[in-house]
Amino acid sequence: MNIIETKGLEKIFQAESVETIALRNINFDVKEGDFVAVMGPSGCGKTTLLNILGMIDSWNSGSYMLLGHDIAKLKEKQRTNLRKNHIGFVFQNFNLIEELTVYENIELPLQYLGWKKKERHQRVTELLEKMKIAHRGNLFPLQLSGGQQQRVAVARAVVANPPLILADEPTGNLDSQHGEEVMNLLDTLNKEGTTIIMVTHSQRDASYSRRIVHLFDGQIINENLNKLH
Amino acid sequence: MTGNYFKVEFRLLVRQKGYTLLNVAGLMLGIAVFVFIYLFVESEVRYDRYWACHEQIYRITNEYSLDGKSEKIALTPFRLAQDLRTEFTGVEESTNLFFTDPADENDVSTVIYNGEVFEIPDISLADGSFFNIFDYPFLEGNADSALEKPNSIVINLATARKIFGNQSAMGKNLRTNLREYTVTGVIDKSTKPSHLNFDAIVSVSSLNDRESTALAHDYFWMTCYTYVKLNDTVDPADFEYRFNEFERRGEAAFIQEEKLNVVGSMQYFFENVSMVHFNSGLMYDSPTNVDVDNLYVFAIIALFILLTASINYINLATARSLKRSREIGMRKVLGAGTRQLAVQYIVESLIITIIAFVLALSLVEWLMPQFNLLVGKKLSLIDSLVSGGNYFFGIALLVLILLLSVIGGSFPAFVLNSFKPAHVLRGTSYTAGRFGKQQVTAGIMRHFLVIIQYVVSIGMIMATLIIYAQISFLKHHELGFDEENVFVINVPRDTLFRKQIRKTMEILKHHPAVLEVSGTQNVPGYTEGKMLFQVGDTNVNPVQTINYFGVGYRFFKLLNIPLVEGRYFHDEPGDDTATSFILNEAAVAFLNLDTAVGTPFNFAGAKGGKIVGVVRNFNSSSLHRDVDPVVFMLVPRMARYFMVKAVPDRLDEAESHIRQVWSGIPSAGSLHIISLESKISGLYSGDKKMLNLFFYFSLFVVFISSLGLYGLSSFLIQQRTREIGIRRVLGGSEKQLITMLSMGYLKLVFLSGLIATPIVYLLMKKWLDGFAYHISIHAGFFIGSILLALLLAFLTVLLRSVKVVKEHPASALKVQ
Repeated sequence: MNIIETKGLEKIFQAESVETIALRNINFDVKEGDFVAVMGPSGCGKTTLLNILGMIDSWNSGSYMLLGHDIAKLKEKQRTNLRKNHIGFVFQNFNLIEELTVYENIELPLQYLGWKKKERHQRVTELLEKMKIAHRGNLFPLQLSGGQQQRVAVARAVVANPPLILADEPTGNLDSQHGEEVMNLLDTLNKEGTTIIMVTHSQRDASYSRRIVHLFDGQIINENLNKLH
Repeated sequence: MTGNYFKVEFRLLVRQKGYTLLNVAGLMLGIAVFVFIYLFVESEVRYDRYWACHEQIYRITNEYSLDGKSEKIALTPFRLAQDLRTEFTGVEESTNLFFTDPADENDVSTVIYNGEVFEIPDISLADGSFFNIFDYPFLEGNADSALEKPNSIVINLATARKIFGNQSAMGKNLRTNLREYTVTGVIDKSTKPSHLNFDAIVSVSSLNDRESTALAHDYFWMTCYTYVKLNDTVDPADFEYRFNEFERRGEAAFIQEEKLNVVGSMQYFFENVSMVHFNSGLMYDSPTNVDVDNLYVFAIIALFILLTASINYINLATARSLKRSREIGMRKVLGAGTRQLAVQYIVESLIITIIAFVLALSLVEWLMPQFNLLVGKKLSLIDSLVSGGNYFFGIALLVLILLLSVIGGSFPAFVLNSFKPAHVLRGTSYTAGRFGKQQVTAGIMRHFLVIIQYVVSIGMIMATLIIYAQISFLKHHELGFDEENVFVINVPRDTLFRKQIRKTMEILKHHPAVLEVSGTQNVPGYTEGKMLFQVGDTNVNPVQTINYFGVGYRFFKLLNIPLVEGRYFHDEPGDDTATSFILNEAAVAFLNLDTAVGTPFNFAGAKGGKIVGVVRNFNSSSLHRDVDPVVFMLVPRMARYFMVKAVPDRLDEAESHIRQVWSGIPSAGSLHIISLESKISGLYSGDKKMLNLFFYFSLFVVFISSLGLYGLSSFLIQQRTREIGIRRVLGGSEKQLITMLSMGYLKLVFLSGLIATPIVYLLMKKWLDGFAYHISIHAGFFIGSILLALLLAFLTVLLRSVKVVKEHPASALKVQ
């Protein structure tokens, strides 16, 4: 079953009098449990596509169905609800909130979902242990190494058990050892049933995926199954 | 180098228009209000400081107590000036100025020149020494001789213009109902602001012998203000003591001679003339006097408004330091020292302050007519800045500019100088290291400053609400008589007119829209004064001072004042005049009378009078005071006012009838008509003025604070754009995020409200205690004010937060 379907998706950036077409005619489907890597050179529109899929950016034309919902027809509040219940995000620069502790960062999505304090505590503690950062729960993000920060970000992305994870260059700011740790985490999640769409530059990271989509100048030029998988 | 600072800062200010605009607007408003209040307070402080040797001039005031009750009064017996002149050494000059009724703006005297009637509000009497002490500039005539001869009159320039236009007034004759006076001088009062209340002064030698002898003899007839100029070697305290000793001996002899039964004493006080304007605790004092507490309140408000405006600047500047950290780091790398950077901030602050000052002064000049209307003054910014010898204001403004610049510049300097260039250039987080700590400190300081602003703002809102509630309470307070549908008309003092008072009243009554007409010596709300009374026909009972109120026929019926016992005065001429008295309930209680009606009762020393009736208490003076004991006497021929009660809903008809009647009487002069309700509300014009000022001041404070909060919150919210983006991605709804962004500020505002509450409670309780009838302060005022402030703060923060929250998370996440 497709959880994502886009048809003729187009995104145009308008800056002063200059118009830049970031995405054109994107027809893109993702099946439940899939692990898709989106690759391409800088500025080809990878992150823009991911942001649109995550409903944190708008598009100009074309349609986008997520989990059977026609996103264009949803109000902002409905999009927020859909997002917080079904999508987890992992960013290259982690995007942790510096003023919150590790524990509080991971807890945040659950707060927005209205979980009770006790349930939140149980879930966050469980996840901290699973991610091997239990002893760092009270530290602030800036007191951690990059790898540890990204593990916190992944923990935050999966804390509410979302069926879909969108990862934007999750290892881009990490050394190879820490990068591998994060990719193993994502791989495990995928094996447990989570659908993952990952934007990356790295062939090695892409090798974890089941399918690779190549973007160039805002268009999908090539799509193939990962033979290594 | 300094030139470079100016250049860079100018570019910066031009580029960051929003920031510059907020800063300049806030400071401009703050400075403008400060300048307004400064000019107002300064004009008050200048009263009576222009007289030559003003520190040697004293006014004599009086505290007398009879039967254990004491009153402070500005009036003294006429004889004091003469005693001072003849019995004491060390007196350079002494003089009297007779009391004219300052409480009543509607009460005017009329003079006739060339057959035309002119009004002069206050004509007083004084002797030849008056202008030797009060050295007004004489435009015509001269100070030494102007008030020497009988029937001389010295008039103020404004009066001279009104009557004579641009012609010379000297030697011209003005006729009043009693005498004809010759103008012997024209003075310009406007150059010397003073508590002295007159538009024209007649020479005291104009009084006839009988009047002069009675005045010169009496120790208890309080008719005039007494002034003395003491030699600079005289110790005023010692002189005051000796003067009291001397007068006491004279009073004792006078009491014996007049066979008065007086249990009491008089005490005179010497008060320097420059302090008179700030004395508001005396009866019969100058109408221009002010409550010095109000001036302190205004001065404090002025400082607070300035503080509020400066806080805006400091808060915005320190918040902006986050944005400038990279530039400052680069400057440090390139060799800028701490001091150089500090100078740079001060230059920036100086530029903003100077722009704000220029705009503020223009604003002040532009709004000056409205402000003058509000405070009832003729202030001028230009005059205060450039008038001869008054450099203080200009210097004060310069000092203020420097002070604001240094304060405004030093706080950001303290914050910005604290971080290491490597940190900021590397893009390390704002919260890291020593810079982070300083930012936290700066954040706490900003919170503290915001709290100060809001304590002031909320305090002003609370005070305004309470003053408003009290004034509307006074407006709706049951006075104990029907004040509705009653016109009050001034009765001219003209002798011709006085002869036809009865006839005029009959004509006035003869109209279907008129219910009743009565004459009265005074209007309820404006007490006539006190007189000496005695219970009994003998001299056994001690003399008491009680308020007296002269009324005409049908006075009580017209105002619907209920009778408690006995009867009203007879409606037609009979023997009620001067021998029958009606008391109010308070007077019966005051005199401890078991049965009032029928009890013999007289003016001190007289016989044959009795109490014929007792009326229900009503508020015969302002509600600042409790109901005083009052004695009513029937004096139909001494009416100073007509009261005309109209049929409800036919007020216009009644008024046009009155106007028509008036125009048919040649000696009536121009008609002064006012509704009783307006006349009574005039009692609270001072309080209303206070309310107006508070209203506008609080408007300004709240606006400036909101401006500051808007600037600060939008800046700090902008700083959090990325965080907001992350929270959006993680599922935070717009509502949740806006609540999160506003909550911090709302907490500060709420805390400020809690701090302001007890302070305002204590201050306003003290103010309300000045009214015999007042509202009680309840929690609603405080809760309402806090809620209003919270709402305003919420809307202010909302303006910006909505924009940031509505932004697509994707673009928010790009912000570094």
